[in-house]
Amino acid sequence: MTASRPNRRHLLAAGAALGASALLPRQAPAQGGAKKFQGVTLNVSTFSAAYPKLLQQWLPEFEAATGAKVNYDAPSFPVYNQRADLELSTRGSAFDVVNVTFIYSSRWIGSGWLTPLDDYIRNPNLTAADFDIDDFLPGARAPETGRDGKLYGVPWTAEALLTASSRFDLVQQAGLQFPDTTDDLVKVLRAVNRKERVAGFVADNHYGWTFVPYLHAFGGDVFRKAPDDLFPTLDTPEAVAAADYYANLLKEFGPDGAITYQPDQVTQALKLGRVNFSDAGQLHLAQLGDPATSKTVKTVKFGPVPKGPAGRFPGTAVHGLGIPAGSKNKEAAWAFIQWALSKQTTRRAVAAGYGSPARRSDVDSKEFRAKQVINGSDLAQLALDSIEQASKTGHMKYRTVSVYPQVDQQLNKAIALIASGQANAKQAMQQAQAQSIAELKRAGLSL
Amino acid sequence: MSTTLTADTPLLHAPPAPAAPLVHAPALPAARRPRTAWLRRHGRSLAAALVLAAVLFPFLWLVQLAFRPAEAVFDDALLFRPTLDGFASLLQGNFLRSFWNSLVVSTLSTVMSLLIGVPAAYALTRWRFRGRRHVALWILVTRMAPPIAFTIPFFLAWRWLGLQDTLLGLALVYLTFNLAIVIWLMQTFFEAVPPALEEAAYIDGCGVWQAFRRIALPLAAPGLAATAVLCFVFSWNDFFYALILTRTQAVTAPVAIVNFLQYEGWEWTKIAAAGTLVALPVVVFTVLVRRYLVRGLTAGGVKD
Amino acid sequence: MPSPSLPWTAGGWQAERRRAFGLGLAPALAVLLLITLLPAAALLVGSLTPLSLTDPAGSFRFDDPLVNYRHLLEDERFLGSIATQLKLSAASVVLQLGVGLGLALLLDGRSRLLASARTAFLIPMVLPPIVVALIWKIIYTPDVSPMHRALEHLGLPVHSLIANPGTALWAIAVADTWQWFPFTLLMVLAALQTMPAEPLEAARLDGASRWQLFRFIVLAHIRPVLVVCGLFRLIDSFKAFPLIYVLTDGGPGNATEVTNYYGFIQAFNFSYWGYGSAIAMVILAGVFLLSWGVGRLGWNTHEHDTDR
Repeated sequence: MTASRPNRRHLLAAGAALGASALLPRQAPAQGGAKKFQGVTLNVSTFSAAYPKLLQQWLPEFEAATGAKVNYDAPSFPVYNQRADLELSTRGSAFDVVNVTFIYSSRWIGSGWLTPLDDYIRNPNLTAADFDIDDFLPGARAPETGRDGKLYGVPWTAEALLTASSRFDLVQQAGLQFPDTTDDLVKVLRAVNRKERVAGFVADNHYGWTFVPYLHAFGGDVFRKAPDDLFPTLDTPEAVAAADYYANLLKEFGPDGAITYQPDQVTQALKLGRVNFSDAGQLHLAQLGDPATSKTVKTVKFGPVPKGPAGRFPGTAVHGLGIPAGSKNKEAAWAFIQWALSKQTTRRAVAAGYGSPARRSDVDSKEFRAKQVINGSDLAQLALDSIEQASKTGHMKYRTVSVYPQVDQQLNKAIALIASGQANAKQAMQQAQAQSIAELKRAGLSL
Repeated sequence: MSTTLTADTPLLHAPPAPAAPLVHAPALPAARRPRTAWLRRHGRSLAAALVLAAVLFPFLWLVQLAFRPAEAVFDDALLFRPTLDGFASLLQGNFLRSFWNSLVVSTLSTVMSLLIGVPAAYALTRWRFRGRRHVALWILVTRMAPPIAFTIPFFLAWRWLGLQDTLLGLALVYLTFNLAIVIWLMQTFFEAVPPALEEAAYIDGCGVWQAFRRIALPLAAPGLAATAVLCFVFSWNDFFYALILTRTQAVTAPVAIVNFLQYEGWEWTKIAAAGTLVALPVVVFTVLVRRYLVRGLTAGGVKD
Repeated sequence: MPSPSLPWTAGGWQAERRRAFGLGLAPALAVLLLITLLPAAALLVGSLTPLSLTDPAGSFRFDDPLVNYRHLLEDERFLGSIATQLKLSAASVVLQLGVGLGLALLLDGRSRLLASARTAFLIPMVLPPIVVALIWKIIYTPDVSPMHRALEHLGLPVHSLIANPGTALWAIAVADTWQWFPFTLLMVLAALQTMPAEPLEAARLDGASRWQLFRFIVLAHIRPVLVVCGLFRLIDSFKAFPLIYVLTDGGPGNATEVTNYYGFIQAFNFSYWGYGSAIAMVILAGVFLLSWGVGRLGWNTHEHDTDR
């Protein structure tokens, strides 16, 4: 983790980067083994997560192979999204590679802020033959594809929202099973909450992601009929019931400050065994199987999200790497994406314990499946089942809507309001409904 | 010289100990006098020490956290083996570069503000024209205006002009508050320079700006230095403009810290180390210009 | 000095001098005009359009100039943010004035420690606001906070202050007070030390109690300072950003979402630039009025001194 003798190199690099970054012309790709992008500075930005962290460790190899210098920026999820959205909206050239975040993908693609990648993929000079774009799960490529059929991002994660219990031994001690329905969940939580000072339940405060499976489970939905009818339906009786149920989980069983928990905080809490149940994607849950950092690796158990009165609707998420429309180093950016998501790199990540690959070859590989069986629970199989189910029922269509981020924020606020006792479920959801309508109108929709 | 500079600013700078100390002791019976007298003599010092501790404790806690080893962050132990790991981890990534950017932008902005503002302050001091009060109000408003009011138009303009994410662009934006500070503060310093000296120079045939360069400026030099430092500090401390108007090239240190706000344990030492480093220049400069600091912070509101 | 209403004569040292001054003043005025009035005008223009960067060409139109302001009046989140802002400003200013005044009274007097402590008191004020936010984030995060742990040891465990809507705003007000009470403290201390001793002596001889001394003499002397401090801090409180950004992100719910922060979210999260401009205009108008008030008061307290 610590860099030895970095001072001079970094100062020199800083000086060079300052002066040269925007001014250096791109080198023409050389024939043969000469460094292809010598002198180019690439600005890569994504949010901090397992895969980007692995990439950050392996960056020097990319830099050595291509001669490019990579500025790697990985702030937290909300900070990243706000910055990326602002930069993309002006078609700026500050970033060369960006993470196409799942809830923003149709907003960014639909507004024309990303570069279509098909030409790069098809060009044999730019793309190695074994990149094999079709190896990526179709379900993962779909959210990264625009209405025009072009691909705008290469997925690096395809995950599903699953339920995890970090101290399943406490559940077993209480004589109960892994909860299957929403009622079961409450029963189990009541039995194990605060046992051995372990809080019952927490979820990361991006409720527009963690809450929606429950919204669907109770029979509600975000829009009336996405993507055609975008009238929000956040104040229906089912939605209110779902919000009430979910916020109550946080209020009754949550740790201190539950509504401020960010995703990596949740992962940390699960690893340390401070919180029992949570819903998260394999991107985070796979880390619970790391014996070096996870104290609960022997007591963890995974399962699908609970089934509600209307059924089970696990959420799915896909993030990808894309190139902004305004980037000035698109070829170098594509070279980076190619390296970052090549078969070698993704396989290496899987071997290192990465939990949500987007390549079918990785998903099917023995290494992946073996690593993802944590304490007897097959995380990979659960995720695959959930993803398959999602593609059948189509309940994730609400996320293909370009104005979803605004509604996402309203959901975040609504659940936080209910869980902190500032409003009851009905008031909060009605407020979310009214605000969403106002925001959608402001975004130019006619409702 | 210091007496002239402070004589007309009674509200802003404590003069040396007043002639008659203010004693609040009411009459007391003789028997109790010694104990209460001790308390009265040292009570204030004690209270001052306690208040000082309360004021500095949060800051010192941050600084000591920067030296903790990562595992000890969640511990209760007050004693620990200090390490420089937190600072070393800052060397990876963009932080050093952002520190450098902060230095460059602050210096650039200070120099520009002084170049434009000092002559203007001098002109405003010596040339009593009618619109003076309006100009003063305008200057006050620019200093008081919330950054968001300027960021939106600047963002669009800079995007169009290509100054987005550049050090020059950021330094130009900082003029919105720095110029006002320079004009206001230097006015007070120039006012303390007696015009008689300049009148004498005029009689000798000096032009206005020659007199300025030879007489007023050297006499106001301490004030100039203090103003420069204040401009530097205000530029260094800015967060909002840098957050919106910079991305990767011109990102300044306060904004770069935000990247560290992840949750894992070892990030806390990194955050603390970064915070300490970003605060360091400011604290050092504060000690240097402490006499003029309060004046700088009330710029525009108190006429003197 | 020659009166400014004299016409500019072609020759003469007066005209030349006036020209020289004008030359010195002109660049600054030009720059100020360019970087303050021009953006303000652009802000106004922008606030009259529904500009959004998902469709910049299409949304830059003036067919309904007051659309944003109309929406603002109906926007409960905006109105709530104004209430939150007023609450936060009031709490911060009262706390700062109270703590600053109280401590100034306590510490007033000759003391070597005090004189050297004055520099230390300056530190919270000059720290970069982001560092202040980090300091208080550490203090308010239960896992790493010395305050929480100390309270737990004393047997008074406290829940996370920034996650609780009832205390979140107060937590921010406390952090803000820690940063700025030295301002009031130093100003009042300076004022106290210039207070003439005779009225106090006379009143004491007449048998006035300490409270009466304070209320009728001391307070009257330092009131202008308190008013100026209060107004300054009030105006600066509208700019509060890093504390909220780092500590609560406007939450929990909307409990700490002040108008400035709401404007930031609208403009820089979803590119609603027209709407964000309208919010900024409202804040700017409020600040302008208050600045005018400060300017008037600042002059009123000293006018009689300088006009002599």
